[in-house]
Amino acid sequence: MIEKRTVIKGTPIAGGIALGQARILVPGRADIPEFSITSAGVKSEIAALERAVEKTVAELRQLRDSAGKKVGGAVAKIFEAQLLIASDFEFLNRVKSEISTLRRNAGSIYNSLVHETVNPLRSSADPYMRQMAQDVEAVAKKVLSHLIGRNQALGKLAANTILVGKSFTPGDILVYRQRRAIGFVSSEGGADSHMALIARGLMLPVAVADSVWTRIPDGCRLILNGSAGTIIIHPSEEDWQEYQRLKKRHGPALIRRIRKLPQIPPLTKDGKEIEIGANLSLPGPADDILSERKVPVGLYRTEFLFLAQSSFPDEETQYKYYDQIAEKFAGTSVVLRTFDLGYDKLSPDTVWTNEDNPALGWRGIRPMLEMKNVFKTQIRAILRASTRRNIKILLPMITELSEVEKARRMISQVKFKLRQEGIDFDADIEVGIMIEVPSAAMTAETLATKVDFMSIGTNDLTQYTLAADRMNSRIAYLYNSFHPAVLNLIKMTIDAGRKRGIPVTICGEVAGDLLGLPLFLGMGIDMLSVHPGRIVDLCRTIRKIDSNLVELMVPSVLSSGSPSAVISKLERFQAAVNETRN
Amino acid sequence: MITATVRIINKLGLHARPSAMLVTATSAWQSEVFFTKENVRVNGKSIMGVMMLAAEKGSEIIVEVDGPDEEEALEAICKVIRSGFNETD
Repeated sequence: MIEKRTVIKGTPIAGGIALGQARILVPGRADIPEFSITSAGVKSEIAALERAVEKTVAELRQLRDSAGKKVGGAVAKIFEAQLLIASDFEFLNRVKSEISTLRRNAGSIYNSLVHETVNPLRSSADPYMRQMAQDVEAVAKKVLSHLIGRNQALGKLAANTILVGKSFTPGDILVYRQRRAIGFVSSEGGADSHMALIARGLMLPVAVADSVWTRIPDGCRLILNGSAGTIIIHPSEEDWQEYQRLKKRHGPALIRRIRKLPQIPPLTKDGKEIEIGANLSLPGPADDILSERKVPVGLYRTEFLFLAQSSFPDEETQYKYYDQIAEKFAGTSVVLRTFDLGYDKLSPDTVWTNEDNPALGWRGIRPMLEMKNVFKTQIRAILRASTRRNIKILLPMITELSEVEKARRMISQVKFKLRQEGIDFDADIEVGIMIEVPSAAMTAETLATKVDFMSIGTNDLTQYTLAADRMNSRIAYLYNSFHPAVLNLIKMTIDAGRKRGIPVTICGEVAGDLLGLPLFLGMGIDMLSVHPGRIVDLCRTIRKIDSNLVELMVPSVLSSGSPSAVISKLERFQAAVNETRN
Repeated sequence: MITATVRIINKLGLHARPSAMLVTATSAWQSEVFFTKENVRVNGKSIMGVMMLAAEKGSEIIVEVDGPDEEEALEAICKVIRSGFNETD
C-alpha cells in the first residue's frame, strides 16, 4: 500500500479531472451496502441472515455430494470444510449479536466479521493458511449474494468518490455514475473499449494503470487527471489547489468547444462538402447545442439504454426514449443502431452464457436475429418514433447477406403490423448496416444492393482484421486502425458504396483522428461520425484540405507494409498541409 | 474443567481439512471446548475460531474442556490432534 504522496503515470482513457477519495473495489467481492436499522428491523435482518445461511448450506451440500460422486472424497472434503464454515454457530451468533447491538444491516456485519477472521490468514506465509482464507471468502460470497441479491450489491457511495478497481464494464460506469461516482481508475481497458466510450460520453474521467487497485489504500485522497492519465495518491495541499484550478478551467470543456462549431457545413478547400456527425450513447449535456447547430447523429448506440437496466426494456419505455431523441434532433437526422450486445458490454451477471471465444461469439446482430421478439420490439419502438422522418436504422455486426435479408424481413413484418393497426411511421425509413467484420467489407458491393447506407465501425474492424482483442493491453501494440489491411478494407467499402450509389460513413475512433482525415477524404468518404468533442477540430482541418490533392496519396498509403509506414506518410502530409497554410 | 497441552504434528498445520476434522470431533461432546494458542482463545466447536488460530506444524495448543463428559472428550480430542489428522503425505 502506498502511504505517502505518489504520482502514478497511467494511460489516459477518458478526459477530465476529478478530486475526491478512493474507493477500492476488490474483484470477486461484492461491494456490500452498509446502513443503520431500527430496533424493529433487527429481527428481520437476523431472519434474512438465517435464510441466506440455509440457502448456502443447501448449495454446499449439493456441491459436496456431486463432487463426491464425480471426483471422489478428497474434493468433497473441501466442501465439508466449507459447510462447517457456513453453519459455524459461534460465528453466526457473533454476527447476530452485533446486528442487535450495532443496529446495522446483516450484510455489512457479516462482511466485516469475515474480514476480521480472514485477514490474519491472508497475510500468513503458509500457503495452506492463505487457502483457508479463500475457503472462508468463498462461503462468505455465497452467503452475501443470498443476503443482498446481485443487483443491490453496490451500496451508496460517499460524495466525491473515485472508484478504483480491476476492470469496469460499461454497465458499471452507468450504475456508478447514478450513484454519483466522479471518476474511475482501472487496471484494464483500452482507449477504444466500450467502457472508455461511455465514460467519455458521460464526461467522467478514467485512467488505466497496472494493478493499481492493489496499491491505492481505500479511502485515501486521490486526484485523477483522465486527460493525462495521471493519478496522485495522497496529494499535497498544493496539488489539490492546483488541480482545483485546472478543473475549473477545463470544466465543461466539451460544451464550450462545440459552441465554437461553425454554423456553415464543413467544406474542403476546393468546396466539397463532407458531413460531420456525432456519436452518442445517452442523452448528455452536449445534445442541445448539437441539435441547435444541426449536427446529424451518425451513430446512436441504443444498447446503453439497456445497460442501465437488468432486463430488455419494453416497447413503451423504448418508444419514449427514441421519441425524445427524435424530437431533440428534430432539425437534423439520427441513426439509431439496434442493440449491439456482446461480451464487452455486459456485466458478468447478465443472462449471457459463457463462451470460449466471446468476441467471435453470440454478439451484435446475431442474438437479435435469434431473439426475434426483442428485435421486433425495438424495431416497432423505433418505427413509432420515426414520424418526424428524421430517423434511420443501423444494423450492427453484419457478417453475410442472409443476416441483412432476415433483419429486413422482420422490419417489413413490423411495418405491416403497424399499418394494420393504423399507427403512423416513416414508411421509407432508411436501413443501413455496420461494416465491422472483414467478410462484410470484402462483400460490401453485394451487401450494398440491399441497404440504404453503410457505416464502417473501425474499432471492431481493426480488432477482427488484426486478430487483436482491443480490451487486451498486452497486445495493444498490434491494435492499430492505421494498419494497411484495415485501410484497404475501408477503401473497399467506400468504393462499393460509390458503385452502388449509397453513402458510406466512418464511425469508429479513427474517424476523429486528424492524421487520418486527409486519407479518408481522398478515399471519398461521405461522412465522419465522431465523439462530439472531436467535431470542432475536424471541421477546422477539413477546410485546409484539397480533396483532389489527397486523392493522389491514397494508393501510396494503401501499399504500405505496416502501420508505422502509413503513419509516417500521413505525418509528412500533415506537415506539408500546415506549411502551405503558413 | 480440565486442560491438556498438545503439539500440532501434521505437516501442514491446522488448515481447512484438519480444522474441519477437529471441529467435528469437538462437536460430538456435550462439554464446552476451547483452544488457546499464544493468548488467542477460541471456541473449539467453531471452525472459524479454529482457523483463526492459524496453528502451523510444531505450534502448541492448550485444549480446555468443561462439562459432564470432559474426561472422555479431552482424551478423544487430543488423540485426533496427536494422530496428525491421518494426513498421509
